[in-house]
Amino acid sequence: MKRRQFLQLAGAAAGTLALSGCSAAGWGFRGDGGKTVDLTYALWDANQQIGLTKSVAEFMKRNPNIRVTIQQVPYGNYQQKITEQYISGNAPDVFWVNTPWLADWGRGGVLTDVAPKVKQAGIDMSRYYPALVDLHTDGDHLWGLPKDWDTICFFYNATHLAKCGYAKPPTDLEWNPTDGGSFLHFLKRITLDKNGRSALDAGFDPGNIAMYATAATNSYQDSFGNYMAMNGGSMLPKPYATSSTMNSPQNREMFSFITDMLSAAHVIVPAAQTGPNGDSTNVETLFASGQMALWMTGDWNTLTVSQLSGFKIGVMPMPSGPKGRISVFNGLIDAIVSNTPHPKEAWQLVQWLGGPESQRIMAEGGYVWSAIKELDPLFLAYWKKKGLDMSWFLDAAHGKTVNFPVATGMQEALTNVTTTLGPAFLGQEPVASSLAAASEIFDYRISYASKK
Amino acid sequence: MTGVAQDLPVKARPAPAKKAKNHVPAAERKRHLAAYGLLAPSLFGVLVFLLIPVIFVFVLSFMKWNMLNAPAFVGFSNYIDAFRYEGAWHALVVTFWYFLLNIPAQTVLALGMAMLMNRKGRFTAVIRVLCVLPYLAMPVAMGVVWQWIFAPQTGVVNTLLHLIGITGPNWLNSPEWAMPVVAFANIWQYVGYNMLFFLAGLAAIPPTVYEASAIDGATAWKRFWHITLPLLRPSMLFVVVTGAIGSFQVFDTVYVMTNGGPGNATTVMNMLIYNNGFVGFRFGTASALSVILFLVILVVTLVQFRYFQKRAVYEMV
Amino acid sequence: MTFNAGLRKTLYVIVLLLIAAVFLTPYIFSIFAAFKPLAEIQADRAWQPPSHFTWDNFVTIFTQYHFLNYLGNTAAVTIILTIGQVLFSLLAAYAFARIQFPGREAIFWGYLAMLMVPNVVTMIPLYMMMSAAGLTNTYWALFLPYVFGTPYTVFLMRQYLQTIPGEIIEAARLDGLGETGILRRVVLPLARPVILTATIIAVIFGWNNFLWPLIATDSNDLQVLSVGIANFNSNFAQQWNLVLAGSLVALIPMVILFAIFQKHIVNSVNLSGASR
Repeated sequence: MKRRQFLQLAGAAAGTLALSGCSAAGWGFRGDGGKTVDLTYALWDANQQIGLTKSVAEFMKRNPNIRVTIQQVPYGNYQQKITEQYISGNAPDVFWVNTPWLADWGRGGVLTDVAPKVKQAGIDMSRYYPALVDLHTDGDHLWGLPKDWDTICFFYNATHLAKCGYAKPPTDLEWNPTDGGSFLHFLKRITLDKNGRSALDAGFDPGNIAMYATAATNSYQDSFGNYMAMNGGSMLPKPYATSSTMNSPQNREMFSFITDMLSAAHVIVPAAQTGPNGDSTNVETLFASGQMALWMTGDWNTLTVSQLSGFKIGVMPMPSGPKGRISVFNGLIDAIVSNTPHPKEAWQLVQWLGGPESQRIMAEGGYVWSAIKELDPLFLAYWKKKGLDMSWFLDAAHGKTVNFPVATGMQEALTNVTTTLGPAFLGQEPVASSLAAASEIFDYRISYASKK
Repeated sequence: MTGVAQDLPVKARPAPAKKAKNHVPAAERKRHLAAYGLLAPSLFGVLVFLLIPVIFVFVLSFMKWNMLNAPAFVGFSNYIDAFRYEGAWHALVVTFWYFLLNIPAQTVLALGMAMLMNRKGRFTAVIRVLCVLPYLAMPVAMGVVWQWIFAPQTGVVNTLLHLIGITGPNWLNSPEWAMPVVAFANIWQYVGYNMLFFLAGLAAIPPTVYEASAIDGATAWKRFWHITLPLLRPSMLFVVVTGAIGSFQVFDTVYVMTNGGPGNATTVMNMLIYNNGFVGFRFGTASALSVILFLVILVVTLVQFRYFQKRAVYEMV
Repeated sequence: MTFNAGLRKTLYVIVLLLIAAVFLTPYIFSIFAAFKPLAEIQADRAWQPPSHFTWDNFVTIFTQYHFLNYLGNTAAVTIILTIGQVLFSLLAAYAFARIQFPGREAIFWGYLAMLMVPNVVTMIPLYMMMSAAGLTNTYWALFLPYVFGTPYTVFLMRQYLQTIPGEIIEAARLDGLGETGILRRVVLPLARPVILTATIIAVIFGWNNFLWPLIATDSNDLQVLSVGIANFNSNFAQQWNLVLAGSLVALIPMVILFAIFQKHIVNSVNLSGASR
């Protein structure tokens, strides 16, 4: 009897639990009606969400008939999730789009072309960085309004650099694939072993390194993509290409520079330690724990860096290569899904988000560099007050840049390239054959959508 | 056995199973209808959610579709692409490697534990239950615990190794160690459950068999090898076959612990299918990979049945 | 002789305790970690008992992450799935085991053949079918593929029902009972052990199911435990503390269920004929 009573109780508890957690929407009842329009806005960055919540609150004040809910989708499966939602017809109305999947969504019909809307609303697109507008244009189509940009620089451990004799960071270093240039010399000077000897020293002990100069990770945007452009190489001949220019002598030179020259000099963290596949969490940990002096990365890590303690941090520019100093340039857009039930209201939201008032809120709060050129000083000012001078990132944006490559299948293509280049980074395979194999699979991916 | 039936007088042989087609008594017909009625729901489920999808997958494997654009017929190119670009061969090798790391060790351990704990007593009973506890854990959740236990700097394993002076490798980031660690996690989860099958098998062996051999003076090892093991064949078959089918379909643990990495060192077939289908939205290629996996499992299962001989199969059915 | 026996007994106890330790240790670590703040887990001595014991993780998952929703979703789906699976499998198993009807063997071998189909083979078309029917991201998608009974459960129950003596069934038939009557009055009371076993198997399966819910649902409200917990970790930081707190909460119902019914789980093993 006791057991039966217990079972009945357990059954009741389970039932109550089930009912309490259930939602009517779960059964397919999508409630509807009323004068307010409900929009969902999806993004992945929890920090930017704070600023955007403020911006969206202001938008809702000015448009009382529109209610916006912000949804955070983890970056790891963002593209996949939103695509799935689009297929089942319940994608968010407005969402962020990053360049690796821009072409897939644009050419796949997931996004609304806002070019005619921009024309009708008379928006002056010259307020944005021209490179950003180019990045998101596909012939006559424009896939959304630019919201921000990023470039690549080094965050450096100022305490350590001072110890090595650099009160101020060098800003005119040069590298080349033949002998490494003044850049390699500098890296050697700041790589120290456990006895305090630098890599320039004859008694340097490469088996016992206390502080590496930097890392050259197997990742395009914040690592080899920059060196690639500086050496005159490229991934694609033009956006939306279906075959790459990856397997070129310039790129071979550049990869050898990283996998052979820099690792032979022991100035970079071995790939086995960073992980051969470009995952940035390891490099971040190495910088944070004081084992690496320079962290080559984009300004999306500003908040993380500002929260580190234990040493002073500064920003210095990348070295210039044979073709000068070139940074990979990328930015996001706010886009409208093509099957939204509320196209008019969604466009109102996107106009707001792409406009100076919203972007002012984001720049002032130090969340991102605004896509609108004239608002950049606000971002700079915010971080200067926090003791971090971000000018070199701005300098890179005003200098020579190369847009993040755009092609269908790019997200997976880049992942596959990274996987294929892994052994080269680990020193297990020669660069030439790895690059050839990487190029083959890269070509397969970017041409898949268009081949019959 | 075969000679007996012939000795029976014709009258005593069982009545032929077939009746005249139209002569089905009403009571029997009612029973047939009742049977079909009882069968209907599960048959519906099997048809709609198993059989039709299988047929669908075969058809889809010859097409190219990403659910955004219209589907197109592409013949065998998905199968070719699967091996040429998608790494199907590598995935099969990795899956087979996982199977080899997992099943033999797990079977031996399960058997060993069953032999060890095949006795009465409260203490033994409690330990037995503790061994089955891992079976209840969400593979997803445990995968995370293992990730943390095997973490390079802060993990338990490397901390312990450090105490005896060894620097442990970056387990889950190293192409050599990632798979063994995943296999270990899986063994931990299921060895207790498999032990139960062997315990049941051991319980079915009549003690008289052992008494006879003891009289003959057989040693413990001889007893085990010549009596216990052969009599355990049905349990062995069950454990190995279901274990093999399960290991060729592993996904949860890999997804959470390594997501197929580092590189593609742990990209098992199921992971490849998932990546092609639900990340790359290449449903045609993913279907082709599914068909390939299905055929592999079929072959492996048939080989195992052949190895364990038909006798054990009929004992199961 | 007694010294030898005593030594062997001690050795036996030690070995068993070691084995138990291997199985319990990951659980113990996860319990410790569930009560620690994230910073402590990332620190050096991550596997020691918490020095800053805190309930925060549990609070966070329930307030910030709709964990109650996950629990509710999983419970709802599991209950429906279990009831349907056990009931319909029982009906089919009885038909296979104790009724003679044309096509019986063929259909049953068809069920067995389906056992060998890898789950992933069916998931792609199931996803497409659910999409076309507008059922992705609903509870329907989560339990429909399993609620009508599965070949494994049918097989399991059929083996057991075959051990019910045929004479009892025949006698009931002669008494004039229809098949459903026989099921209700005769079979049901006798089949209680296998029903219990099938229930436990279905519950554990439904509770821990991961791949299909991962594919079939993508809204935060509809997450089941397995996917929700996995998602804690795919944000920017590895939020070990939340994952372990969540999995601990998810584990508790299963452990309770197991503790009550563990004898029957062992019995399920006998019924699949593996011992014969």
